[in-house]
Amino acid sequence: MTVPAVSFSGVGKVYKRPRLLGAQFTTGIRDLSFELQPGEITGLLGLNGAGKTTIMKLITGLLFPTSGKVSVFGYAPSRTEAKARVGYLPELPYFPPQLRPVEALAYYGRLSGLSGATLSSAVGAAMSRTGLEPHAGKRVSEFSKGMLQRLGLAQALLHGPDLLLLDEPVSGLDPLAIHDIRGLLAGLNGEGRAIFLSSHSISEVEKLCSRVLIMVRGSLARTVLRAEWEAAPGGLEGIFVEAVK
Amino acid sequence: MRLLAACAALLAWTAGSAVSVSVYRSPFPPPSDIHVSAEGAAGDILALAFGARRLFADVWFIRLMQYYGTPEAGPGGTPGDSFAWLLPKTGGGAAEEAAEAAINNGAGRYPDFFPLAMHILQLDPSFTGAALYGAASLAFNMNRPGEAEALLRYGLRYHPHDWKSLKLLTAIGYSRSRDPSAVAASIAPLLKDPDCPVMLKQLAAFLDKKAGNYAEAAALYADILTTSRDPSYASNARKELALLAARGITPR
Amino acid sequence: MRRSFSTVVSVALNSFSENVRNKFFAVFAVFAFAAVYASVLAGVMAVDQEARVLTDFGLTLIELIALAYALFNASSVLLREAETKTIYLVFSRPVPRWAYLAGKLAGSLLTSAVMLALMGAMHLLLLRLRGFPPPVDYAWALAGSLLKLSVITSLAFFVSLFSTSAVSTLVISGVIWTAGHFAIETRFLAEHSPGVKGGLLKAAIWLIPNFQLFNVRDSGGTLPLAAFATAALWTVGAGLAALALLWRKEF
Repeated sequence: MTVPAVSFSGVGKVYKRPRLLGAQFTTGIRDLSFELQPGEITGLLGLNGAGKTTIMKLITGLLFPTSGKVSVFGYAPSRTEAKARVGYLPELPYFPPQLRPVEALAYYGRLSGLSGATLSSAVGAAMSRTGLEPHAGKRVSEFSKGMLQRLGLAQALLHGPDLLLLDEPVSGLDPLAIHDIRGLLAGLNGEGRAIFLSSHSISEVEKLCSRVLIMVRGSLARTVLRAEWEAAPGGLEGIFVEAVK
Repeated sequence: MRLLAACAALLAWTAGSAVSVSVYRSPFPPPSDIHVSAEGAAGDILALAFGARRLFADVWFIRLMQYYGTPEAGPGGTPGDSFAWLLPKTGGGAAEEAAEAAINNGAGRYPDFFPLAMHILQLDPSFTGAALYGAASLAFNMNRPGEAEALLRYGLRYHPHDWKSLKLLTAIGYSRSRDPSAVAASIAPLLKDPDCPVMLKQLAAFLDKKAGNYAEAAALYADILTTSRDPSYASNARKELALLAARGITPR
Repeated sequence: MRRSFSTVVSVALNSFSENVRNKFFAVFAVFAFAAVYASVLAGVMAVDQEARVLTDFGLTLIELIALAYALFNASSVLLREAETKTIYLVFSRPVPRWAYLAGKLAGSLLTSAVMLALMGAMHLLLLRLRGFPPPVDYAWALAGSLLKLSVITSLAFFVSLFSTSAVSTLVISGVIWTAGHFAIETRFLAEHSPGVKGGLLKAAIWLIPNFQLFNVRDSGGTLPLAAFATAALWTVGAGLAALALLWRKEF
């Protein structure tokens, strides 16, 4: 039996914010269970505050579940074995403005355990794959939003991860950039990598994903397969609107 | 793991404190020794807070020199106050010469001089230059050997083997017994030291001149002229060298 | 383990290069101006003690400027990396949290060491221009400052992990720095205070690092081996305390 790329089992996350007297508790997600299979592209839809980013952070070990269990390729997310197989693109990634893309990528490559010739070729490949090669001489401060997003994607790809977590990968990009990134993701999936992307753009999710999770106020409201939304009269948008209402 | 890190942190910190407590011996007087006027208290607090006692001792030293360098308002000291210990063994001409030198050397009452000088040592008892300057000024310029000795003895409590202070203490003792040649012999080893206050060099030159050792006196005036950054001492040395040169005497 | 060590080195070098690019040289301009200004004043006022005054003023200024830079950096670096989400790109990788913390601390200390060395060189040049030889204990004095900075930087990292803002970290670290220089007074008071007050002061002697231990020029001489051992233990202690907080910190 194949080990799932990601497994959530009864996961809950409650945020605790200390106050002067006591604390304030906010529920991020509640009793969430799902699995992502290797090689699958899964979308994550939901309104603001539905828990999308919380899920991404739980998978990357940036947050810890309050209840339940999260595993990544069979390991706890904080384990090296799990992290080595995950590439993460946060929403609106930041890079020091004075750096050139190669310098930024070399740093993150080293953190992923790459060195020497392996690091150089991984940086070169990520630059080429994300279309950053013509901009290699520029500094990050000269980058457009689209180029920053490409650089974010490049750092997520450096170490050849088996699972890509992409938080709003096409947010704020122009149509051409969206088209390029869509092509890139399809290519990566073609190599057998699992992709888990959250987005507000239903049409993008619809074009790329084979399955979509719809989150409503911290709970999984629906899991929709491509065949379902293709058969539905209103498509994925209709299903989504009905789920969140 | 988290608990382990916390326990290890506590252990490492306590071990550091244990080493510190066992090896650290303060080179400074206890805080109860520090007496300061209200206007200087803020500066002293800063000195302690930033671990900058040396720097603030320097600042107090500059204040002392400003105080001592300012002519006294009202009835000040008389010229005869200074070098008075020299007078019995010299005649009227020498007394006149001593009086002249005393004016150059800052005779006067300067009632705050001793507490200011003492405060410098309370902040930094290793400030030998200040101890020598303060004690020499008190003993030889203001004829207050008791205070000069108290100042040196305070510094010696923290640095009992400081030979410069010991030499000066001896010289002050000889000045009490009105023995200029013994004073000259006592301060002689100090004269080449970078911490030697310029007024001691001037005193030595003065004693040499009185004893008829004009070439040695000229050498000391030449040394003052080249090493001292105090314009009044430099100017006096230049004047003395010119007078000696007029008599055909050059530095040895 | 070897890989973790290379991660520490990567984070340290990255942190150092970011620090150097971040208004690093403006600090030297401030120092150069203040030192030249002070030297002119000292020359006029200190007369025959100019060398001592110039040396003391320069070394104090060097230490305080390096302290300000180190504290500002240590108190804001984790907060800034969390705000810009840079830390997401680090902790989503196989980077042990201890290695990240050790790297950041090493980067800060490397920055402090370079700052001290450069400002020290400028200061010695100024002394030479004024006609004074290098003070005999100069290198030891700089080493003592570095040991102090090592302890306070590590403490600032620890404080920054539970305080609510960079400003509060700066304030708390500043208070520790000040209290650490009152070790003699604290010990004196502890010996002369009865009951609970005396007990609290005795506890403070163990809790607050004695920075006077590293003031080489006060005791006149060199830094004893015990000073290095103490600085290392306090730095590691504060670093481990920071790690205990960072271990389960969420971003």
